[in-house]
Amino acid sequence: MAAALLWVIPFAWMVVASLRPGDAGAADIASLLPAGPLGTGNFAEAWTSGHFPLWYGNTFVLCGGILAVQCVTVSLAGYAFARMRFPGRDWLFYAFLLQLMLVPPILIVPNLTTLVALHLYDTLAGVAAPYCASAFGVFLMRQTFRTIPAAYEEAALVDGASRLQIIWHVLLPLARPGLTAFAIVSVTSHWNEFLWPLMATSSPSTQVLTVGLASFTAGAEAGSEWGVIAAGTFFVAAPLLIAFVAFQRQFVSSFTFSGIK
Amino acid sequence: MRILQVATMAFGLMTGAAHAATELDLFFPVPVQGKLATEMQRLIEEFDKTHPDIHVTAVYTGSYDDTNLKTRAAIQAGKPPGAVIMSANFVREYAINEDAIPLDSIIAKSGETPAQFMEKFWPALRINAIEQGHVYGVPFQNSTPLMYYSVDAFKEVGLDPDHPPATWQEWADALRKLAKHDGDKTTRWGVMFPGTYDYLGWIVSGLAMANGGQYYNTGYGGEVYYNTPTTIGAVKLIDTMIHQWHVMPEGVTDANAVTTAFFQGRTAMMVLSTGSLSFVRENMKTPYKVAFLPRQFVNAAPIGGASLIIPRGNSPERQAAAWTLINWLTSPEIAGGWSRFTGYFAPRIAAYDLPEMKTYIAEHPDAKVALDQLAYARGWFSTYNVVGVRKALEDGVQAVLSGKATPEAAMAKAQAEADALMKPYVEQTALKLPH
Amino acid sequence: MSAASTTLPSVSLAARARWPWAAYGLLTPSAIFLLAFTYWPVLLVVLNSLTVTGFHGVAHWGLDNFGRLFADDHFGAAVRNNIVYAIGTIAPSLVLALGFALGLKDTTRFSSALRTAIALPMLIPLVAAASLFVFIFLPSAGLLDYYLGRFGLSETNWLGDPSLALGSIIAITIWKNTGYYMLFFLAGLAGIPQDLLDAAKIDGARPWQRFRHITLPLLGPTISFVLIVALLNVLTQVDHVIVMTQGGPSDSTSMLLFYIYQQAHQNYDVGLASAATVMSVGVLFALSVLSLRSLERGIHHEV
Repeated sequence: MAAALLWVIPFAWMVVASLRPGDAGAADIASLLPAGPLGTGNFAEAWTSGHFPLWYGNTFVLCGGILAVQCVTVSLAGYAFARMRFPGRDWLFYAFLLQLMLVPPILIVPNLTTLVALHLYDTLAGVAAPYCASAFGVFLMRQTFRTIPAAYEEAALVDGASRLQIIWHVLLPLARPGLTAFAIVSVTSHWNEFLWPLMATSSPSTQVLTVGLASFTAGAEAGSEWGVIAAGTFFVAAPLLIAFVAFQRQFVSSFTFSGIK
Repeated sequence: MRILQVATMAFGLMTGAAHAATELDLFFPVPVQGKLATEMQRLIEEFDKTHPDIHVTAVYTGSYDDTNLKTRAAIQAGKPPGAVIMSANFVREYAINEDAIPLDSIIAKSGETPAQFMEKFWPALRINAIEQGHVYGVPFQNSTPLMYYSVDAFKEVGLDPDHPPATWQEWADALRKLAKHDGDKTTRWGVMFPGTYDYLGWIVSGLAMANGGQYYNTGYGGEVYYNTPTTIGAVKLIDTMIHQWHVMPEGVTDANAVTTAFFQGRTAMMVLSTGSLSFVRENMKTPYKVAFLPRQFVNAAPIGGASLIIPRGNSPERQAAAWTLINWLTSPEIAGGWSRFTGYFAPRIAAYDLPEMKTYIAEHPDAKVALDQLAYARGWFSTYNVVGVRKALEDGVQAVLSGKATPEAAMAKAQAEADALMKPYVEQTALKLPH
Repeated sequence: MSAASTTLPSVSLAARARWPWAAYGLLTPSAIFLLAFTYWPVLLVVLNSLTVTGFHGVAHWGLDNFGRLFADDHFGAAVRNNIVYAIGTIAPSLVLALGFALGLKDTTRFSSALRTAIALPMLIPLVAAASLFVFIFLPSAGLLDYYLGRFGLSETNWLGDPSLALGSIIAITIWKNTGYYMLFFLAGLAGIPQDLLDAAKIDGARPWQRFRHITLPLLGPTISFVLIVALLNVLTQVDHVIVMTQGGPSDSTSMLLFYIYQQAHQNYDVGLASAATVMSVGVLFALSVLSLRSLERGIHHEV
């Protein structure tokens, strides 16, 4: 209880500070209790200091695009590992899972070279490319598929359905909790990623929210307008926060019903 | 008649398409948020309007270090920006690594020798713009460290705000009067300055130079003077301020914390860039003044700020367009306007002959102090592997700030580290004998 | 052959899988991306780590980069910090997450509000969290000192004191990740049959005994899964270090990935960066083999 309170304090301050009319040197900037009149001036200033509509758009496209491709790669591979028998299966599975450990931030230097060679440097597709295969997702989907009784597939097989048809029409609808859990993990992590998009893009038109926020809160030679920074942070975090509060029950239950236990 | 109009319009469009404007990116760091970025965008729009054959996009690239990183990445990716406003102390490394192009031949096209061209800028700025006799950078926004002090705090302890401390001795006396302690707690510090990377090295170099030192070799990128009496003395001064006089907080404080403390009256003085003049002017509620960085033997202050460079990999057309942009941005009118907006001083000497600039200087005595200090300005620390070499010193000084090392030991270690980082360059240059 | 094969469905499906091409076909989309962005870069990094170059010098093969790496104090500091950081973040956040999950597993309006509160930090970018905490940790004027000051504590330089800075970074990480791990534990707890716990209760087992002898063993797979995720986070997240401290003061918050980032992008030392990457990938590889085996075992318990 007390701990939970401790957990929300930073958010509480973010809200209060962003509503407090900006004064870089006010003595009570740290106070959690709003004193005096509140205003939305900081939000207006943060909004005009950055290109939020563009950053939101790019971040949506990036996260959505990654997720769409991942759903395909991950379901197909997950199915193969869950249901099929083929030479080298266990070895391949381990090789796939290695990616779990070899995350893109560690491979920034060589991956940048690859992007340039593929003419994907400074494009959203380039930022997304290393994430299009997901070991985490393959693992999750394999677990999820295994919880689905084989009887469903056999019925479809008898009807002469192809494997792809089975996956698409029979298994995927049943595997929704697993996909939802994976979608949450995928979207939150890519929404929040900073280092890789910073390196892989250069023009303002490809900046995502985290990069945009860092570039406008990083002041090297002068002081900071805390209220504006708090407001900017709120803009970045808001969509996911709202989504989580609205769908909390579904979020938690998909974690429960997916294979991750 | 109408048909003719349409035809001419169509023709106009076709020729317009034939003379497609040269597309350029300008990478620019802005060391303060929001407002300056907006002003830069406005400037570039104005440039685009007055130069129909060039289309420039201003790309805000974060801090100086971020800008450096992104410029490198863009060059390696084969997508270099047309021009970059680059931290002036990185220019040497760009020249050494041949990542920026020498501007001599472009300057020659406008009928000037490189030397004549550089004469238009303040002398102290030329050091960081020229490498091995060739011009690589054109100064755009420049700064020096200044001492900001609260008039009220001075009056409260009986110091004359019109006569700020000028020497280290006077500084020490003033600091000990200004700091207020309440038991273990300090209610007001004497002085604060940023101890974070980049800023710290700059301020230490200023103190070392004021102590009679050179700090680094202005003519050669493979030598720094950390383990020398002048630098050790400067670090000792800081150490004494913190651990003996207790007039400065222990540990590393960042620029945000320093300005916030100054605005809240929790420090009587701060050492900060002239680039912060406008920000302080807008946010400081009580009267304040600025003064030169105090001296032990000589007045000295390192230059800071940024120069325009043209990265390698640009076509001759793009180079020419970039040069037009650079000339426009550094013209007395534009540079003067930017200076008034930001608090940086204008690198062009002629900017200060403009009437609006004369009014500005008369109205803002703090800007006048910054300008006067220019007479004593020195080059900005720049070497091969400059970030690492700078960090070697800063790690050492940070250890001193936190009471974890003595100035002597810290500087000996910093020197060894810096030498190791510069070794590959030194071996291939100064230590390489003719065949 | 692992125990996994026993879970394969009936003969008719297995028989159809006689053509391995179908299986390989399904794996191809993933494999293409893995080859381009995981295996190929690993190969490049290994090659770079073995290539020795000087300034304008000729490159040759050798182990010099590794020699320089082990001689570099900054690398040692980064490794030490990373170990402290791993212990300092994983143990408390796992214990806290499990505690929260146990306390909040029943769905009431109140507990779901608390669950939301605790899970919120996982949803905000580490950079955003970092800029929030830069302010919270601001000496004297910041949130923490402002309220601690009311209890008579004097100002503390949370991020600027080398002996505190890593602790401050650890605190943010715990705050940020605990909610994420809690979700996994909630899922794990929901999978424990209630009748088992009820039966134990009837037998007179006390709450602690039930936890110790039923809940904890059955949560084994979840714990090892969360442990892997937490280990990965420790080695692969440095955004907050970049925004808040740049590894300072005096290297006290530098970590492995930050060291690699610095060598590659600030010192342009590709050889050293690659050598450090090889080392860290090696560690990850060893950890992954160990943890995957335990994880697979744990999962077979369940299936």
